[in-house]
Amino acid sequence: MSIFRWRGAGLPGPLWELERMRNYMESVYSTLANGVNNFRRNYTGVFPLVNLAEDDDSLFLTAELPGIDPQSLDLSIKSDTLTLKGSKKVEGGEQEVNFHRRERDAGSFRRSLTLPSKIQAEAVKAGFKNGILTVTMPKAAEARAHQIAIAT
Amino acid sequence: MTDVSSQEINAREKQPLDTGGIESTSGEPRFSPVVDIWETEEGLTVVADMPGVPAEGLSVDLKDSVLTILGRVEEEPKNRKSLTREYQTGDYFRQFTLSELIDQERITASIKDGVLTVILPKQAPAQPRKITVVAE
Repeated sequence: MSIFRWRGAGLPGPLWELERMRNYMESVYSTLANGVNNFRRNYTGVFPLVNLAEDDDSLFLTAELPGIDPQSLDLSIKSDTLTLKGSKKVEGGEQEVNFHRRERDAGSFRRSLTLPSKIQAEAVKAGFKNGILTVTMPKAAEARAHQIAIAT
Repeated sequence: MTDVSSQEINAREKQPLDTGGIESTSGEPRFSPVVDIWETEEGLTVVADMPGVPAEGLSVDLKDSVLTILGRVEEEPKNRKSLTREYQTGDYFRQFTLSELIDQERITASIKDGVLTVILPKQAPAQPRKITVVAE
């Protein structure tokens, strides 16, 4: 049996023991909560993360895909669903090297998303510059804003 | 190249730069780019993901054994209304202390498809030099 220093000022023995258990449980919960937060911070969804924007005529989708060969990207649109597939390779594994850091991910990805408005699938253009994919999707006629003249 | 075709990439948010409480005056976020660093007998290679950085926005500097990488991203078109924003954009900044002696003259840096590669060749090993101790 271990001997504890008497710390619970004014608390009788059994109550001090309860206090000690409560502190321990609190430390367990706070560790768990931190773990959940770390998880949330590092994992937000399906790769790649995308930004969507619009102007009057088009929708714009951008995704950060550094180091991905644009030729290997597979982009398709069916009705209002856009699907992006591809894979990323990282260099350095081909010879005897000593890794100091290995933070970049490699692997395959596939993401589908529903577009917020109807688009003209045949007029979609995609560009790849500095590791950023930009897909420009002209909106379908019915999805565009129509200026309505107010008769006076 | 590593064969990783079966493995899926998880989406990760970019790491905001830890500036120790010092803020940038513009208020724009800055990020710490993810890197691979490996060493061979010839030298060190640093590879960093910096999507959105053009060659002219890149600055790589080695001073007092500290390698500094700075990438400025191109501005996004202003006339668009954002609908969904899963990732943030901003400049990239990261520093490393190098323990190896690097041949400054032969450092090369290149950027392709948003990936920076810096090759830092090691200095030729110093020739052992016998120092004669003269008795006085």
